[in-house]
Amino acid sequence: MKNALILAGLLVFTSLAVFGQGYGTQPADALILPVGVAGTVYEDMELGTRGGTITIANLEDPKSWNDMTAHETSTTFFTSRQHRGLVNLDHISGALVPDLAKSWDLSDDSLVITFHLREGLMWSDGEAITADDVVFTYNDLLLNEDVDSNARDGQLLPDDTYPVCAKVDDYTVTFTMSVIFRPALNSLSFAIMPEHALAQYVHKLNPEVPVGTFNEAWTLDTPLTDLVGNGPYIITDYQPNVSVTMSRNPYYYGYDPAGTQLPYYDTMISAIVSNQDVMMLKFRNGETDVFGLRPEDIAILLPESASKGFQVLITDQPGYGTTWFLINQDIGLAEGTDAEKREIYRNVKFREAMAHTIDKETMIQNVLNGLGGAQWSPVSVPSPFYAGRDFYGGPITENNAVIFEYDPAKAAALLDEIGVVDADGDGFRDLPSGDPLTIEINANDNTTRVASCLILTDDWNAIGINATFQVVDFNTLVDRLFGSSGDLIYLGLTGGDEPNGGSNVYRSCGSLHAYRYSACDEPDDIDTRIDELLALGAGTFDIDEAFEYYVEYQQLLSAQLGYVYTVVQSFQYAYYDHVGNAFKASPTSTPGGANGLLTELCFDKRL
Amino acid sequence: MPHPTLYSHKKAGMLTYIIRRTLYMLPLLLIVSLISFTLIKIMPGDYLTAARMNPQITEETLQAQIQRFGLDRSFIVQYGLWLKNIILHGDFGTSFDTKMPVYKALFLGNKLQWTIFIALSTLLLTYLLAIPIGIYSATHQYKPSDHIITFFGFLGLSIPNFFFALVLLWILVVLFRVGDYGLSVSGVMDLHYYGKAFSWGKFTNILWHLWPVWVVLGTSGMAGLIRLMRANLLDTLSLPYVKTARAKGLTERVVVYKHAVRNAVNPLVTILGLTLPNLVSGSVVVAIVLNLPTVGRSYFQALRRQDEPVIMAGLLFFSLFLLIGNVIADFLLAWVDPRIRYD
Repeated sequence: MKNALILAGLLVFTSLAVFGQGYGTQPADALILPVGVAGTVYEDMELGTRGGTITIANLEDPKSWNDMTAHETSTTFFTSRQHRGLVNLDHISGALVPDLAKSWDLSDDSLVITFHLREGLMWSDGEAITADDVVFTYNDLLLNEDVDSNARDGQLLPDDTYPVCAKVDDYTVTFTMSVIFRPALNSLSFAIMPEHALAQYVHKLNPEVPVGTFNEAWTLDTPLTDLVGNGPYIITDYQPNVSVTMSRNPYYYGYDPAGTQLPYYDTMISAIVSNQDVMMLKFRNGETDVFGLRPEDIAILLPESASKGFQVLITDQPGYGTTWFLINQDIGLAEGTDAEKREIYRNVKFREAMAHTIDKETMIQNVLNGLGGAQWSPVSVPSPFYAGRDFYGGPITENNAVIFEYDPAKAAALLDEIGVVDADGDGFRDLPSGDPLTIEINANDNTTRVASCLILTDDWNAIGINATFQVVDFNTLVDRLFGSSGDLIYLGLTGGDEPNGGSNVYRSCGSLHAYRYSACDEPDDIDTRIDELLALGAGTFDIDEAFEYYVEYQQLLSAQLGYVYTVVQSFQYAYYDHVGNAFKASPTSTPGGANGLLTELCFDKRL
Repeated sequence: MPHPTLYSHKKAGMLTYIIRRTLYMLPLLLIVSLISFTLIKIMPGDYLTAARMNPQITEETLQAQIQRFGLDRSFIVQYGLWLKNIILHGDFGTSFDTKMPVYKALFLGNKLQWTIFIALSTLLLTYLLAIPIGIYSATHQYKPSDHIITFFGFLGLSIPNFFFALVLLWILVVLFRVGDYGLSVSGVMDLHYYGKAFSWGKFTNILWHLWPVWVVLGTSGMAGLIRLMRANLLDTLSLPYVKTARAKGLTERVVVYKHAVRNAVNPLVTILGLTLPNLVSGSVVVAIVLNLPTVGRSYFQALRRQDEPVIMAGLLFFSLFLLIGNVIADFLLAWVDPRIRYD
């Protein structure tokens, strides 16, 4: 009896030891990243060695460890490394690729997507990952009204319904849509959460806990040993205001072609450094391995790069996002004032005149130190749908671009044409009736935006427009934006690959259609066509057909000059020589950036 | 030897005085909280303003969040609920941002300990240096050394703290290239020392990280203290009893240190009580630049994100600190000055 007990104990102990060490052998369904494989975008990358620590710096602390309820990038920066979804963006190309799912099929009517999960995968605590986790995440968390989920709105179909998620078997899940919605695939990249660890916090599944308990699950004071994930790293240490440490997940399913389990780095430490100047000093001091630099840092870092052993990657690749100013076409509408000004702002020739006075070249040289590009489209330049390309994902030719060249003479002529001339001889143009015209452009306290606005007002003053600039607190600015007050507002929006992601901005009834909210009730021809194009582009899985719709969409929006685009910073990055594969950093992913997909593929060359 | 009855009278008076002051704190805190709440509500926007800029968020979700945080209720109701939760349940609220109770949002980890340690150590060092320097300055009045001390004192006072901190870091990293010796800057210790047992290496590492903090925070306070010490001592040294002491044949050293300084230092002792809360709440910018895990940083972050429960709790905390500092100051004054009574 005693011997049997000892044997049983030994068996349990051994199995626990094996469990904790991860997969004994590479799972058959592992995700193979084609590092160094010829014919892929990875072909110039090196195979790495496991070990070592990479240290990066972040501006802010995370707010929780709960990926489902996170609303800010300071949190998702960490949780997106701990959790992965059915699909993901490719580390290098940014295309949508299988992640937790090994493949998917689209039904003939394009309404059902069937995902085939990788089999034999485990969570970081050794429990199996199955379709139950997917269904739990979608039905009990994402669609659950009690859960303050950030991903729910992204699932909304054009007819205001949600896809229906159903389990077919342990490794097969279907999502059924009521209308054809191409962007649904993109939206299905949300992180899959572990049912066995989190169901206990959901009132719907566990009535013993109050409603909303899940929103307070996995907060920062949770013991880190409670966290369970399926991503390359698991959060293992947190010092508030100081650092977040992530250690490799022994059950991550990513491997390189040589059979080495990823990630290469054992540990990833993120130092919380609230000041960007100090961040740069720490990089120069060798405390951090990578640094996302600003244009003004290049002059300091380049000269010492050779002696200190790091590289400064300077590209003319613009990043994601748009920078613009809007001309408030609803000014005074609610108050019943400024009728003539409103009419002028709504006159496209006025907006064209304003657009022809944007000296983008000077902005790029003076504000961005030459490291930026002109923008004309609502879709981010890196997106494969960007209309500066001739086809989906093609090289940028700008054949389709709708550009308003810097031409102050033309601007002046346009203004003369619509009657905005200097009636009283004070040197400034007035409204057609003779009343004075004063324009104020507002921006928040962001050095790049302030500098750009100053250049704009200078150029507008030069053609006789009485333009002034005023810095305004960010919250006040946003209030003005939503309240349709103020003349011109200079801001920016984040961007992504999917043009439909901007639907809330460009649909006539979109909540961010801030240049003219009245378009919802009184759309003009362009507004109507934009709505149609958004629906058409999302309503087909034929990428080339969608691309054509989006070209027209971008051209129309550019011509409409609702948001008038200016310039966008190009991508720069700095990394120490010992960080292998860091040279592949791009706006899509960097070793330490918000989209730090590349972290898994970087390694310590000194090992 | 003080009269026994007088002394116990004073002790009893001191006790009631402290109790009275503590009770006064409560209505004061209430008024402070009401004013702060009003100010927060007057500020444009709220916690969800930034969320509106997210193209993905729908109006329904936004409304749900507004309700969840109680931001749709009237001002009076919101304030009343906040007060009720504190008085009846001892619940200071839950952070909008982190969903943790506010005391955790403010004090998570060792933030409170570090805040107090940094404040106290800076205070101690500042006083340990300012008093002797002030004495030296007074006893060498108008000599070149006096002028030099005054100059550097005011230099330290005039340079903005955050700028000073950045310059100091720059000097270390770029001029002295401390990275080449494996030394890191900012923060309170090297990352790998966290959670480890106390050791000599850890102790020296903390000293290395903290000395710039002491220099930056200390120099701004030192100038005032040095001048005050100098002025008080000069005043004291001109008093008749000092003349008497000198006439009696006592050495200058005894006159200055045993008699004059002990009286001149009184005002500085009382200022100590007020400097402490200033250090705690006033060093936020330095804490941001030098990466110190202090309560001020959580509070500043809450301010930026308009995380109302944390802002209110933080304000109460700082106000409490200030009031306690005042009581300490009064107590110290009474303790060192036998002339003071509590009536």
